[in-house]
Amino acid sequence: MSRLAQVSFTRLEEIAGASHVSADAAEIAAREVCGVRPSVIVRPADGAQIGEILRFAAAENLAVIPTGGGTKLGIGALPARYDIALDLSRMNRVLAYDPQDLTLGVEAGVRIEDLLLTLAEKKQFLPLAVPFSDRATIGGIVAANLSSPLRHAYGAVRDFCLGMEFVTGEGTQAKSGGRVVKNVTGYDLHKLLIGSLGTLAVITRVNFRTFPMPPAQGMFVASYSTAEAAFEFCRAISHSVLTPQTLEVADPGAGRLLFHAEAATRIMPTQWSVVISAAGQPTVVDRYARELGRMASAAKAAEFLPIGDSEQSFVFARIREFQGLLLEAAPDAAIFRIGVLPTAMPSLLKDLSEVAKRCGDGLATLTRASGIVYAAFFAQTGNESPSVITGNAVKEVFRVCTLPENGAQAMLEWCPTEIKTSADIVWGPSRRDFEVMRRVKQSFDPQNVLAPGRFAGGI
Amino acid sequence: MQPQLIRELEALLGPKAVLSSPEDLMLYEYDGSVELGSPRCIVFPTSARDVSQIVRLANRYETPIVGRGAGTGLSGGAIARSGGIVIAFSRMNRILEIDAANLRAVVQPGVVNLDLSRAVENLGLYFAPDPSSQKSCTIGGNVSENSGGPHTLAYGVTSNHVTGLELVLPDGEIVRIGGKTIETSGYDLCGLLVGSEGTLSLVTEITVRLMRKPEAVKTLLAVYDTLDDTTEYVVEITVRAITPAACEMLDGFTLRAVEDYVHAGFPKDCAAVLLIEVEGLTEAAEAQAAEITEVCRQHRAREVRAARNDQERNLLWRGRKEAFGAMGRISPMYYVQDGVIPRTRLPETLRRIEEISRKYDLQIGNIFHAGDGNLHPLILFDERDRAQFARVVAAGGEIMRHCVEVGGALTGEHGIGMEKNELMPLIFTPDDLALMERVRAAFNPAGRLNPGKVLPMGKACGEIRVPPTPASAAIPT
Repeated sequence: MSRLAQVSFTRLEEIAGASHVSADAAEIAAREVCGVRPSVIVRPADGAQIGEILRFAAAENLAVIPTGGGTKLGIGALPARYDIALDLSRMNRVLAYDPQDLTLGVEAGVRIEDLLLTLAEKKQFLPLAVPFSDRATIGGIVAANLSSPLRHAYGAVRDFCLGMEFVTGEGTQAKSGGRVVKNVTGYDLHKLLIGSLGTLAVITRVNFRTFPMPPAQGMFVASYSTAEAAFEFCRAISHSVLTPQTLEVADPGAGRLLFHAEAATRIMPTQWSVVISAAGQPTVVDRYARELGRMASAAKAAEFLPIGDSEQSFVFARIREFQGLLLEAAPDAAIFRIGVLPTAMPSLLKDLSEVAKRCGDGLATLTRASGIVYAAFFAQTGNESPSVITGNAVKEVFRVCTLPENGAQAMLEWCPTEIKTSADIVWGPSRRDFEVMRRVKQSFDPQNVLAPGRFAGGI
Repeated sequence: MQPQLIRELEALLGPKAVLSSPEDLMLYEYDGSVELGSPRCIVFPTSARDVSQIVRLANRYETPIVGRGAGTGLSGGAIARSGGIVIAFSRMNRILEIDAANLRAVVQPGVVNLDLSRAVENLGLYFAPDPSSQKSCTIGGNVSENSGGPHTLAYGVTSNHVTGLELVLPDGEIVRIGGKTIETSGYDLCGLLVGSEGTLSLVTEITVRLMRKPEAVKTLLAVYDTLDDTTEYVVEITVRAITPAACEMLDGFTLRAVEDYVHAGFPKDCAAVLLIEVEGLTEAAEAQAAEITEVCRQHRAREVRAARNDQERNLLWRGRKEAFGAMGRISPMYYVQDGVIPRTRLPETLRRIEEISRKYDLQIGNIFHAGDGNLHPLILFDERDRAQFARVVAAGGEIMRHCVEVGGALTGEHGIGMEKNELMPLIFTPDDLALMERVRAAFNPAGRLNPGKVLPMGKACGEIRVPPTPASAAIPT
């Protein structure tokens, strides 16, 4: 309780109840954001308590960061201030699940794993196959807008989120959107909260549309010796009548990490692996097997394999957990998330590998063929320099992304705290739309209570 | 309006790009809704720079600005409610880029929706949002209203298909948000801007996703003898999690009017028909069509008929898309509603609409996107009968209240505009609305951009506004 006076602590206890306010050292350490520790953790029961806490924080000039499972607190720039960790784990109820209508409303603290089990009972799911899925909560997943391999077929959170309830930086409870699958009533404020890292409002409830589980699934992998050949195969799939569920390309670095585990699959990790999954009626999955096999050999695959039923969930989970697995293997890795057009992928990956070579780093990339590259730079075994990526290397990555032939847009999703010397290191050079974002921030959180400094442009 | 402003606009854009004679202004005082409002002049920019300069000029004269596409909107979004300058985007109608390899197109706001699909047809691609007005409505208008259409059931509304925008902000600044890639870092400003009904910015360029045409399309017509059987069937396919590409319903009254006009082959003695389309791989479309047909039969469909060829398919769709035109043959005017309900509440909602129809002694037709619970009750009236028109407005309000009561929304695709802004408190609290006002002010601090839209003005709270005189008949989506 370095910064927080006893009187403040008492006030928070009055709001949330004494047993829900903690300054326990271990808990505090678990809520650290980029090396900055809060003074206190508060576990509110509902939006009304969150409102009171935020109004109190505004009055006392304290900064608040909302947290769920605490798995993605490392994303974003260094917070300028951080006093209160607002832990939403008590708000973990499914508030409205109407399987007949395929709609769902949940509190932000619901763990994704629990939620998927609930939905599975009704043979439904949410297309949120995200890393850290044993601990991640809906609020955190939405606030970080983590990408899922299922994005290929189902889109991102913005595409299946129907509405939200939230508490603004001023402590006001508000909402936007609704619970029905089609709705243009009022401004879609909730879309601003997706990926906002808690800088605009504390999300308390999220409404989604749910999806039926397909009757049958298949998974296939094609191996290639070069990136160009692998992406040529992806291009052929994208330009065919096939609409796979997922379409991912792992480079050899990612392949070794993902598929070379103890329960080894037959995937050849030394190659570029294109992993495709298909779903639908059994006749549909059979058709994918036939067509993909034909297209893979036309594109000169070194190998094309159907993945057996027993291996499918393993392979899918490995791909889903890519960032977590990588950080486990290389805690100092720098992982970029890069939006890029499919035609620019081979050239971007080549440029990234040159950056890695120049810096003496290892590189592993996992590419969602619909337009996202996860590129991880890490120290190679035996590398003498323990600090893998420098500020200059980061700038190099941002530079090659913006080359006209790449036209990509990066953010540094994970990296060691030491290199986060400015918001630009994480979010890239300033853009003109950052000023518009600043105005949006001002309307939600005029006193800068919520996660100050963590967002793009120093918001 | 100050003649000086007109002169300055003419100097800026050339005299042919500014209209201000009374007869010209009359052509721009309405849209597809029952609302009216007269601008002081209409200008036709050809670039973002033009738009920016118009905006700066308007600011100097403290004059309101309203963007306008084809004027097919159904909630008064393009109407100059407080006068001022209408910026018509009809001369910004170029398709700037077609990037088939990446499934993107970059267009100016005045490009007509269907023209984009036609331009990429030979590449096997199309633009998915398909409002029924797609032959005339513009993509800029679609972006403003976040328009839908029958096939949004499977493919989503406009916001799901926009990746980037170029904007002119109300201070005249030109800004790009989003891009061609599926995601860009920072707040999802495109998500906010699409559907903001022209109250936050003027859109001068749009990057959209294109979709690949499916291998197989099957169009089914299911014929029912009772309305309850029809709506219960829609619930059943939702419950079974069968998601067709489109699932449209026409009730008996509506389909008879359509049949006399279009001759789509709808049986005139039935209570309702469903027009259902499934798409995808041949195997998937066949399996889905078989399942849908089976469930139809279980739900007492009199008949399920599949279109045998494109000609039959197009005729069935003409029956759907031209239904509103058919209404014009049997009634002097009609007022289109646009409520949304949870799909499982469809049977009780249609019974409620029947009750409301009897209570107010009005003929109400139902033709709508059944699959996503987006209703379009169509209230027929004669504009010369003012007492009847007051009942029309009251009945519309009652239908809206029912939608809200069962957990639905005020509008699924037509927008709030100036039609329903005073109904917003039925859904949103004063705090919700105050936040929306602050966000609006963050973009549009002087309130000069499309004033009097979306958010309530505080008059006649909770009521649909009774327009002074009903304007033209509406075109549906």
